[in-house]
Amino acid sequence: MTPAALLLAAALLFPLLLAIGCLSARFRARALSVLVAAPLPALAAAILVPEGRFAFFPQPFRLTLVLDQPGAILLGGAALLWSAAGAFAASSMTRDPAAPRFAVWWLLTLAGCLGLFLVGDVVNFYLLFTLASLAAYGLIIHEQSAAAHRAGVIYVVLALLAEAFLLIALVMLAATHPDANPPIRSVVADLPASPMRDGTVALLILGFALKMGLVPLHVWLPLAHPAAPTPASAVLSGVVVKAGVIGLIRFLPFEAGMPAWGAALIGLGIVTSCYGVVVGITQRRAKTVLAYSTVSQMGLLAVLLGVGLETADPDATNLAAYYAVHHTLVKGALFLGIGILAATGGRRLGLVLLLMAVLALSLGGLPLTSGALAKLATKPMLGYGWLAGAMTLAAAGSTALMVHFLLIVRRDAAGNPAMSPPIGQFAPWLVVLAASLVIPWSLYPAVSGETVASLLQPEALWKVTWPMLLGAVVMLFVDRLPRRLGLIPEGDIVVLAQAGAPLVRGLSNRIGEVDVNLRRWPVAGLGLIALAILLGGALMFRA
Amino acid sequence: MTASLSPGALFGLCGAALVGIGLYAIVTHPGLLRRIVGCNILGAGIFLVFGAVARRGGGAGFEADPVPQALVITGIVVAFSASALAVALLKRLSELNVGERNGTAAPTEQRGRL
Amino acid sequence: MTPFAHATTPGGFLLVLAVILPVCAVLAIFACGPRSAARIAMTTLAAGLAIAIAIAVELIASGAALSYVVGAWRPPLGIALRADGLSGAMLVMTALVVVTVGLFARVQYGLHDGAGGGRAQTTFWLMLLALWSALNAVFVGEDLFNLYVALELLTFAAVPLVCLDGRAETVKAALRYLLFALVGSLLYLLGTGLIYGQYGTLDLLTLSRLSRQEPALSAALALMIVGLLAKAALFPLHLWLPPAHAGAPAPASAVLSALVVKAPVFLILRLVLDVAPPQAAAIAGQLLAVLGAASILFCSVMALRQARLKLMIAYSTVAQIGYLFIVFPLAAGSAELPPWGTIAWTGGALQLVSHALAKAAMFLAAGVIAEAFGHDRIADLGGFGRALPLSAAAFGLAGLSLMGIPPSGGFVAKCLLLTAAVIEGYPWLAATILAGGLLAGGYVFRVIDTALAIPAVPVAPRRPVPRRLELAALALAVAAVLLGLVPLRPFGLLQIGRDGLAMAGLP
Repeated sequence: MTPAALLLAAALLFPLLLAIGCLSARFRARALSVLVAAPLPALAAAILVPEGRFAFFPQPFRLTLVLDQPGAILLGGAALLWSAAGAFAASSMTRDPAAPRFAVWWLLTLAGCLGLFLVGDVVNFYLLFTLASLAAYGLIIHEQSAAAHRAGVIYVVLALLAEAFLLIALVMLAATHPDANPPIRSVVADLPASPMRDGTVALLILGFALKMGLVPLHVWLPLAHPAAPTPASAVLSGVVVKAGVIGLIRFLPFEAGMPAWGAALIGLGIVTSCYGVVVGITQRRAKTVLAYSTVSQMGLLAVLLGVGLETADPDATNLAAYYAVHHTLVKGALFLGIGILAATGGRRLGLVLLLMAVLALSLGGLPLTSGALAKLATKPMLGYGWLAGAMTLAAAGSTALMVHFLLIVRRDAAGNPAMSPPIGQFAPWLVVLAASLVIPWSLYPAVSGETVASLLQPEALWKVTWPMLLGAVVMLFVDRLPRRLGLIPEGDIVVLAQAGAPLVRGLSNRIGEVDVNLRRWPVAGLGLIALAILLGGALMFRA
Repeated sequence: MTASLSPGALFGLCGAALVGIGLYAIVTHPGLLRRIVGCNILGAGIFLVFGAVARRGGGAGFEADPVPQALVITGIVVAFSASALAVALLKRLSELNVGERNGTAAPTEQRGRL
Repeated sequence: MTPFAHATTPGGFLLVLAVILPVCAVLAIFACGPRSAARIAMTTLAAGLAIAIAIAVELIASGAALSYVVGAWRPPLGIALRADGLSGAMLVMTALVVVTVGLFARVQYGLHDGAGGGRAQTTFWLMLLALWSALNAVFVGEDLFNLYVALELLTFAAVPLVCLDGRAETVKAALRYLLFALVGSLLYLLGTGLIYGQYGTLDLLTLSRLSRQEPALSAALALMIVGLLAKAALFPLHLWLPPAHAGAPAPASAVLSALVVKAPVFLILRLVLDVAPPQAAAIAGQLLAVLGAASILFCSVMALRQARLKLMIAYSTVAQIGYLFIVFPLAAGSAELPPWGTIAWTGGALQLVSHALAKAAMFLAAGVIAEAFGHDRIADLGGFGRALPLSAAAFGLAGLSLMGIPPSGGFVAKCLLLTAAVIEGYPWLAATILAGGLLAGGYVFRVIDTALAIPAVPVAPRRPVPRRLELAALALAVAAVLLGLVPLRPFGLLQIGRDGLAMAGLP
């Protein structure tokens, strides 16, 4: 086995081993402190392992790991955020008696999430997807409040639904393949010729859209992300939603292209990105605003992937991964920043708020930040038609939403007494922040094929600046609208879905009554005789 | 009319009638004891069918096949054990019910409804 | 004699041992008195497990079915025992579950020593051993009448287990179970009579080569299959199962739910695939699949509605049994591929085994919970995971298998069944499998959510529960999960002893 393969395996197995280590009570008591180290092999793999390497583990594991460019980009960013958030958690949760339990869920979610970026075979993809989905439940309900439980229940219902869609889609993909556990690459290559092509793609998009939080399947996201402890919110919003992105990247046939489904994905993405902004602007809580911003950004990613699918452009996956890693780092830093702000007051507050402003506006495309880079890198792909216009509007919307967010956090932190955040939390935050500024610069030439110098041209700067100004102006007006805040409840349409609860309960009661009747002796006895006659008829019937 | 029926067919028809009566009793009677009796009638009908099979010689080609008779004897033993177990449970149930109701003397059948 | 008759194979005596040994132990307990019941039972459990493993090893080593012709009297007059790959898997599964349940019961009865439960304890050991013998007899039986006797013995051993604690409601549940099962076995017996009348033999292997589409055979098969359905408690004939399985003590529920209902299902599988003529089996298979699908959906909803843990698990059993019946149309096979070569057949067999392990684990975990808290109302168990982490873990792992979440045996089974449904073109069955998984997710999650909750008033165990008690459930749950490592393709073991049939089945 080559060193590269060993490192890939370690990226997946190390966090799992740590989770298994938590079976020992002594280790579990100190588990919080290993969270920072758990994703380090993955980080090393993303940096050191050359692209295109793979590792194969034979029976009974049947596991294939591969590292391609989008996978490496996402893996690196995600591992960095996991590590920093782990350090943050180790500092912020020391007094929490339930912290060991939190650490176990954390390690399991982490292993699933990072593994997804690496895994190359269908069955293990599903396994890790499930692991990441279900273990995240433990992170969401950690604080045990009523809101957390409600969020947890809604999350699990939707996660199981996503699992079901995905399972049938994968079965349809792999059904005709001779190998029982085929490589993803080969089943996706066969997909365009499959008779069940459209059904498969629809189910894949449905399953992954649920995970990404595309409208109208986004309802769990604004409930779950704010309910979790701050470091968990950071990884949930920064990394876990990317499970859907990597799923679309891996399973949609970008090489063959599917114009109709590409257009559908674009439409879904545009609706989502606008919807996230509009609903987000009515929210009162900072974390909820960030969650809606994640919804909106996932919409933009869906647009990028949709364009790639429509025009049969495999490079779109690299650009989408680039955009996604920008979002991972920035959104992670913003969530951690909320934790930092809550522990900061006095002299330092101004500095922290300034850094938060840079981060937040980066999502809108602040020049020289990762947001601007991501937008410039994806611009050529979108062309100059209506789609580019829509994306510009979305950038303006993002800016408006982030201005709204900054106003909220400034108001929240205004009354803090003079204090400075613990170094154990401040340092990881700074690391993510710095990474969000630096990493996109270093990846830019490889992803976009252009030089860094081109970014500094005035024309390029103006391209990203004017949508921001537009957004800021819009926000000036929106801020004056009366009764805006709290107009739409958190989780928006889930409230409508809950109105259907009496109907479901009525149906369930009806089934209960039927059961009572069926279990009466004479009914069951007659049923027995009737079944015998029916079955006899069926057996005598000559087809 | 009767003369035209072979003994095998007569046994078979009687067996079928008993099976029907037994099933009817089991399905319609709420009393547990009657259901147990119904099971016994059903069993008796089935053993008669076996008898008919033996008389006809079955597929084995013997004049009067002894195998179904062996089966019937075993079957009767099994059915007897089943009835014994059911009656024992019923008795236990009625004792428990009597204990619960402080000895209100109602017939077993009325109380032993499911 | 005919060229396809049974002949005793070298390892054939093991089959006799598997049936006889538990009976001998029952006699030994009668002879030595109740004081030594537990000791004799434990020794027998160990020996029985060794025999089951020896049978499996012999099967794999020889690659052919084991046979034993009792008293060298060949069928149709004599009686044969035969174990093919599926029977071997069943024997090993049964031994595993029985041994683990035995260990659990040993520890649990150890907690109550001197509490006056001596009689119930002796009855439990006697009935457990008798039940094991009957199960083995069902799995290796070749003679339809012999199978009838084995099924009846199984019921007679299972009924007292239901009412071990002697409360009126459990006696009532036991009586209801006995009567319904009795009707079922009488119908089966009637079918046996008709088959003997038509063909003059009751030997399954011989019948599998004789069967033609004749009215008598159809009527006989319909009676037998419906009789077995009543014993397997498939919807809508499940009236007896929830009260019986929920009322029994935990170790008894575990064997009842995991093993006893599987015996009739196993026989239906053999009747439909071996005896019924293929084209008739196709239509009857559709009917059984409809019942199975209804069972999955209806009883999963019922499980979700239950307030008591054991009732929930009992309804879940009815739902999970449904998966075994949707195998029939999926495993119909084709001219070049016999039914037992299909992935659906493997999926069905895996579902059978993984459900047995997972369900036994769940009932044992529920038993630990009832032991610790004195009740099993789900709503009042908030935070039990803190007091009983191993049991909560066992329940969760077993739940993974029931939901069909990887890595678990249940996942592989459902994945294979789904693939078969997609390939064979049964979208409604695929949808049912998925919906069943979602509903199972619902009821398992409800318990897990309760286990992880931190209520204002934490639940405190009434009495401490030793770790060993919890480990039994966990071991079974882990076994159910480890089954997920078997390959996703038709499984070699299940085809042992089947090839000969395939050859002879051709005209």
